[in-house]
Amino acid sequence: MKKYILTIAISFIGLMNLMANDSAYVEAMKTQLEQFDQAKSPEEFQKVANAFSRIGEMNSNEWLPKYYAAFALTNAGFRTEGIKEKDAFFKQAQDLIDKAISENGENSELVAMKGYALMGELAADPAGRGQHMSGLVMSTFGKALSYDSENPRAMILMAQMEQGTAKFFGTGPEKACGMAKQSLQLFELEASYVNENPLAPKWGKDIAEKMTQQCQ
Amino acid sequence: MKNIIIILILISSVRAEAQNLITGFITSNKGDSLPGVSIYIKNTYDGTSTNAKGFFSFKTSATGSQFLVAQSVGYKNQELPIDLNASPIEIEIQLKEAIDQLNAVTITAGAMEASDENKAVVLKPLDIVTTPSAMGDIIGAFQTLPGTSTVGNDGRLFVRGGDASETAIFIDGLQVGNAFGTTASNVPTRTRFSPNLFKGSFFSTGGYSAEYGQALSSALALNTVDIPLRSQGDISIMSLGGGYTQTLVGKNNSLTASANYFDLAPYQSLIKQDFNWERSPYGWDVSLAANQKVGNGGILKAYFQKESNGFKLWQQQPGEIGKGNLIGIKNDYTYTQSNIKLIGKNNWSYTGGISYSENIDQFDLDSQNVRQQNRLIHAKGVAIKDFSDAISLKMGIESTWSAYEETLVNEGLSRDFLDQRYNLFLESDYYLSNQLIFRGGLRSGYSVLSDEFWVDPRASVSYKFEHEGQMSFAYGTFSQLPLEKFRVNNNSLGNTEAEHFILNYFISKNGRTFRAEAFHKSYDNLITFNGSNLAPEDISLSGSGYAKGMDFFYRDRKSIKETDFWVTYSFVDSKRRFDSFESKVQPSFAPKHNASIVAKHYVSALQSQIGMSFSFNDGYAYTNPNLAGEQYAKTKSFQNLSLSWSYLPKPNLIIHLACSNVLGRDNIFGYQYAPETNETGLVPGMPITQGAPRFLFMGIFLTLSKDKTANQLNNL
Repeated sequence: MKKYILTIAISFIGLMNLMANDSAYVEAMKTQLEQFDQAKSPEEFQKVANAFSRIGEMNSNEWLPKYYAAFALTNAGFRTEGIKEKDAFFKQAQDLIDKAISENGENSELVAMKGYALMGELAADPAGRGQHMSGLVMSTFGKALSYDSENPRAMILMAQMEQGTAKFFGTGPEKACGMAKQSLQLFELEASYVNENPLAPKWGKDIAEKMTQQCQ
Repeated sequence: MKNIIIILILISSVRAEAQNLITGFITSNKGDSLPGVSIYIKNTYDGTSTNAKGFFSFKTSATGSQFLVAQSVGYKNQELPIDLNASPIEIEIQLKEAIDQLNAVTITAGAMEASDENKAVVLKPLDIVTTPSAMGDIIGAFQTLPGTSTVGNDGRLFVRGGDASETAIFIDGLQVGNAFGTTASNVPTRTRFSPNLFKGSFFSTGGYSAEYGQALSSALALNTVDIPLRSQGDISIMSLGGGYTQTLVGKNNSLTASANYFDLAPYQSLIKQDFNWERSPYGWDVSLAANQKVGNGGILKAYFQKESNGFKLWQQQPGEIGKGNLIGIKNDYTYTQSNIKLIGKNNWSYTGGISYSENIDQFDLDSQNVRQQNRLIHAKGVAIKDFSDAISLKMGIESTWSAYEETLVNEGLSRDFLDQRYNLFLESDYYLSNQLIFRGGLRSGYSVLSDEFWVDPRASVSYKFEHEGQMSFAYGTFSQLPLEKFRVNNNSLGNTEAEHFILNYFISKNGRTFRAEAFHKSYDNLITFNGSNLAPEDISLSGSGYAKGMDFFYRDRKSIKETDFWVTYSFVDSKRRFDSFESKVQPSFAPKHNASIVAKHYVSALQSQIGMSFSFNDGYAYTNPNLAGEQYAKTKSFQNLSLSWSYLPKPNLIIHLACSNVLGRDNIFGYQYAPETNETGLVPGMPITQGAPRFLFMGIFLTLSKDKTANQLNNL
């Protein structure tokens, strides 16, 4: 009897530890997501990215820490001055996504994030990189949508690229605006689902709203 | 019993309570404080990042012996053992700089790279297609780079006082035989390969890697596209012909098939030509490229190209009346290659491949029929080992088989030779820091035909300053066996030789690039002969010479909105005793002052890109037999202003218009003289001119793809 109780007690503690680990992961992620929302400067984004990378090291079976680390670095890149300085952030972000893809498999969000980081690299030097990179960026977003045609982030990022291309070709904003509108519907659709994972990416609706407003 | 459970529960919850404070600061090995460094206790969530001054402070619930990890991009990770029981902990950490590709110095002496990937780049692959004077020819774009001279009646690449045969062309590291189309004397030629095949190129005007041989002056290494972006069909309709290319892309492989036809007859019947064409140039080509990804990051490529072309032309002779001599040329060319790149274990990587070139020319000169056949097989294997991020070693082995045969068809006379060459090379890169790199290499060779063994040492060093500019120095000796037409006469002819010294300064920052280079090149064992170029006698290696000078390149796509331009100036002082010259002379292919300007401006309102290029040199030296001495005469300066207009009415459609020599300048490349004096006691001569005052090009390029995002941006 004693032995039996002891076994239950120990396995209970084991379970508690497991849950504690699991919730420690979720807690750590939630804390950093809050930090993310408050981050403004490249330094703050770098700090958040560092924290997500640490969480990623502890949980190599999860792709989300690496995803958010890459997202934070991409944000840092957009807010930094200088091509070389921007490139350092975007390259780091791309490396993290590549790592996540090789460790955890490819999915729509990861591919879309890779496209976002590539888009940042392009935007750092549009005159020098626009021609050869725009095809790659577009096809990366296309690939993200082929994994999940309802990914609103892939859609709005593609809309932004399309907007740039349309401006370049002088072909009018109809296609880009249509995509922005469509992404807004996808954001609403996403919000109506109950996502089983509270940490899943949800960002981007503000971009879609802003762009559809500009379209009107 | 209850106690046990309580104790167990206590143990499991006690972890969260102890909090040890760790503070400190982090510097680089140069003593600068490092912000944004991630610092944490290994295998825990506890950690933070350093602030703007390199300080950090965080609490951890971990206890006992742990590892503290510090991580920052551009630096080597550091793990330090710490004892958390000795709290509070204060610690200073120094991070060692890592050698990283993004920031490290590169060797730029002699080298000019056209790629999307590297930073020490002077051209983008697209520039090759969009330079107006280039008319879509790869070499045309390189002729706007420093160190080159435009020789308008030849069309090939002339580098720093070297003749065109001193530039070797490689595709994916494999040598290409007869990379330029066959032509008659004074009729310019083009490269055989479409610029769309290549993702990047490496053009060296001297001091290049031990990997490349059989080139006294220059190496041009072209790298083919890996896997294209998407499946598509490309239609081209041009004023001279048309073509179709179909690209199929799978997950791990791709197939590209292309067929093109051209005929200048309709164009030349509409626009008056100065050359008297009996049959305008015509030809066709087909090509097939298949690529397959293999293993982890490796790729297997196979390429095949076949083409056939020809023309007939009346060439007037100095001192003679009438149409002159009729020359007919028919050329058949095959090039095929396969190469593989593999990533091995323990930081080894391997490349290897084999290429085959076959060129058959049939010349009809009035009553004489000459057939020439060149065949070249080049096999190569290279292994690269990265011992660390600072030291790498490249080793290679090559075997080349070259055969040449020339036949006088009517007489049934023929002669030939076969040579086998073996080469070994070894090269090592050593980074002392991100600022300083050394490269040393050796290339050895043996030719069976001339029974000669040789070793060429190469070395370079490069230093990067704080302001991101960098200084490089390169040295090397280079060996090249003489042209086939000489070797077939005299099988024992060994190598011609050159020695290069190059000093280079390069800076590229935020859309502006500046490059300056000074060089000295000495030549030895150059070919000399008596008699004429067509029937050389007493061929020997007793020539020598030099070329020295400097060149400048400035590119800017920042200062003027939507405009990208570059300016080059090259000064070359070259003299050599070679061919049948009796003294050291300035070769006709080495004008002293060479300059070019290329500018491209995008006009959104017109959906168009307007391009302009201007090339200049101060004239070509030539020998006037009516005057004393050799090569004392000089033509008037060469000038060519070309314009282009690319219009994109739809994203997948591009209409391209280009015109060379818009001003119609009557460029003269030298003079041809009769073999004897006429009744006035003078040797009659005539200028070597252009085929037409201008060349006009119009093309419509349409891309068809299921992918709605496909556009012609990457063809602009």
